[in-house]
Amino acid sequence: MADHLFRHEAAKLVSVLTGIFGIDRLQFAEDVVQESLVRALRTWPYMGIPKNPAAWLTQTAKNLALDLIRREKLFRDKEPEIVAFLDQWPSDAAADESPMFENEIRDGRLRLMFTCCHPLIPQEAQTALALKTLCGFGVAEIAKAFLTSEAAIAKRLTRARQKIRDLQIPFKIPAGKELSSRLEGVLQTLYLLFNEGYKASSGDHLIKEELCQEAIRLGALLAEHPSGNQPRTHALVALMLLNAARLPARTDSEGNILRLKEQDRSTWNQAMIARGMLHLGESAAGEGLTPYHLQAGIAACHCAASDYESTDWSQILLLYDRLMELDDSPVVALNRAVAVANVHGPKAGIEAVEAIQNGSQLNSYYLLYAVLGEFEKQLNHFQAAIDNFRKALELTELTSEQLFLSKRLQDSEERNLRSVA
Amino acid sequence: MNTETATGEYMLLFRGKQWDKGLSTQELQQVMDKVTAWAEGLQGHGKARAGQPLGEQGRIVSGKKGGFVADGPFAESKEGIGGYLVLRADDLNEAVEIARSNPILEYGVTIEVRPILAECPAFQRAKGRAGRADQLLSEAVA
Amino acid sequence: MESNPLKCQSVEALTEKKIIIMNTSTTKSDYLLLFRGNMWDRGLSPEQLQKVVSDWFAWFERLKEEGKCAGGHPLEKEGKIVSGKQGRTVADGPFAESKEAVGGYFYLQVGDIDEAIEIARQCPGLEYGAVVEVRPVAEICAVKQRAEELSAGRVAEATA
Repeated sequence: MADHLFRHEAAKLVSVLTGIFGIDRLQFAEDVVQESLVRALRTWPYMGIPKNPAAWLTQTAKNLALDLIRREKLFRDKEPEIVAFLDQWPSDAAADESPMFENEIRDGRLRLMFTCCHPLIPQEAQTALALKTLCGFGVAEIAKAFLTSEAAIAKRLTRARQKIRDLQIPFKIPAGKELSSRLEGVLQTLYLLFNEGYKASSGDHLIKEELCQEAIRLGALLAEHPSGNQPRTHALVALMLLNAARLPARTDSEGNILRLKEQDRSTWNQAMIARGMLHLGESAAGEGLTPYHLQAGIAACHCAASDYESTDWSQILLLYDRLMELDDSPVVALNRAVAVANVHGPKAGIEAVEAIQNGSQLNSYYLLYAVLGEFEKQLNHFQAAIDNFRKALELTELTSEQLFLSKRLQDSEERNLRSVA
Repeated sequence: MNTETATGEYMLLFRGKQWDKGLSTQELQQVMDKVTAWAEGLQGHGKARAGQPLGEQGRIVSGKKGGFVADGPFAESKEGIGGYLVLRADDLNEAVEIARSNPILEYGVTIEVRPILAECPAFQRAKGRAGRADQLLSEAVA
Repeated sequence: MESNPLKCQSVEALTEKKIIIMNTSTTKSDYLLLFRGNMWDRGLSPEQLQKVVSDWFAWFERLKEEGKCAGGHPLEKEGKIVSGKQGRTVADGPFAESKEAVGGYFYLQVGDIDEAIEIARQCPGLEYGAVVEVRPVAEICAVKQRAEELSAGRVAEATA
């Protein structure tokens, strides 16, 4: 069986069944799919894995859907059309070769994506629902990814489903004037999903990698559809690919974080970089320039450099300058300061940090001190470096980050000792 | 394409909490004779496949990596299974009718009748595995 | 030699084969693994379900290849429950979510109960709350045995 077969099939089946039961009865679709998977558990160990597991699951889901429809009064009126649809739905190998049906499935997924990411649903609930229904993750897995309890996730899911019913959100791909803002909502959620997976924070490492992959997969799906095929969608997909491609190099074999200059670039996923560059090209069409474009551009600069020394920091700084025009948040400004230091030296870097507007928001952000510590060290201001690294250590609880910072601290302490010797 | 079909085989699970308690020796002997006759009758008609009583000793294994291994008691538990029988029948109704004819019912034993799920054409073994064990089973139920 | 009322010719055939095939001195006994519980798999995620399916299938195949398991079947979820004199009560069931419901079984042939238990402990469902019951398959029904012992006792008394 292919990796993640159940999860991917579950997601696909939920979107098709939602089309049948209606978005206000999303839970039915989820239940039928879950029951289909449980049926597989009851029989496959004895009978063997079917030759076409996906087809088996699809057929089982169809049968269960039919049972449900016949049993539940609510579907009485719609029964004939539902049955007709189910009859048309191919469940055997032929389905894989049917382009028409593939389009239906893709459309179903997009409908679900737009519905889950409706701006009036609280953001946290959007992400939880997307992960559950579009990506096939279980409640426990989502809880682990977000470092929260299963009960909390269950609550978010319930709220999301209820909101969908209350708002009577129609199960369709938005069109016309509505499309632009709705698309923005979807991109926003995918971006958050990707970031969740990308963060080096704790949480199940494997699930986090999958979050990035799922965000990319959904983004690519969106980009293929006429409604989603816009420059900013491509920009987001490029951003995600060009960052995710470099993830393998980010940690060493023991899970310790490596700085950019220490990373082994041969582990970068060149195929993903190539795809990312293609999407970057697509994103250049038209006039629009979004933060996604600029972030993608920055990632592209790093990807294009064969080694740390070849990095075009001037270009990166230019992109950060443009990014600041659109989003002058302190975190972006901090990242820009790093670029400044690489172009104009550490003193300029410190000045750039000090110039950050609303910089006080960063007071509890460990990276602020880590960055300052690095600049001070480069200026041979070892005591200042030590103070900053200590402060950074106080502010982070993650083992991987602590190890990283401790090394920096230790290094500074040693050099400090040598300099006063 | 059916994903599940019954084999035409049904499992009877016999449950009874100390059903023999309070019976006199003579009664006990009579019951066992009746049940024997019943079972032999079924075999004669080719209706019965495998079937055995289950030993009262036994264990319940649970917990991660099967960390908990508890003793029965099986005979005393309401859900305790005393024995099983695999029947061959045309449908569930027939299997039920056969179960209803078992004299042991008189003594408070209940019989659960469950269709045994079989392999169907939609399945195909992931890897070929002929083997002694397979042959044993097919001979056992032949 | 007493004939076991519930033992049918198929089991005798099995025993015969056992003797023919086992030409070593190790004898084997029969055990039933009953997989109990119909709730534990409900809350599993698709990823978890896939893993359990793969692992369980591999476990079953391995046991068969090793000659330790003669076979096994899943039981269809719902059937009937027969009770009362002449089986006058036939109820649908068992439906209820239950820790006791039997979902399937393996028929083992191994040296002793400890070996059967060790095998039971490998069940991939245990991690999530499945329960495995290990029962020796008896040569003779315990009740019948008691009946015969009691009978023999009476005869002994009568002739004493």
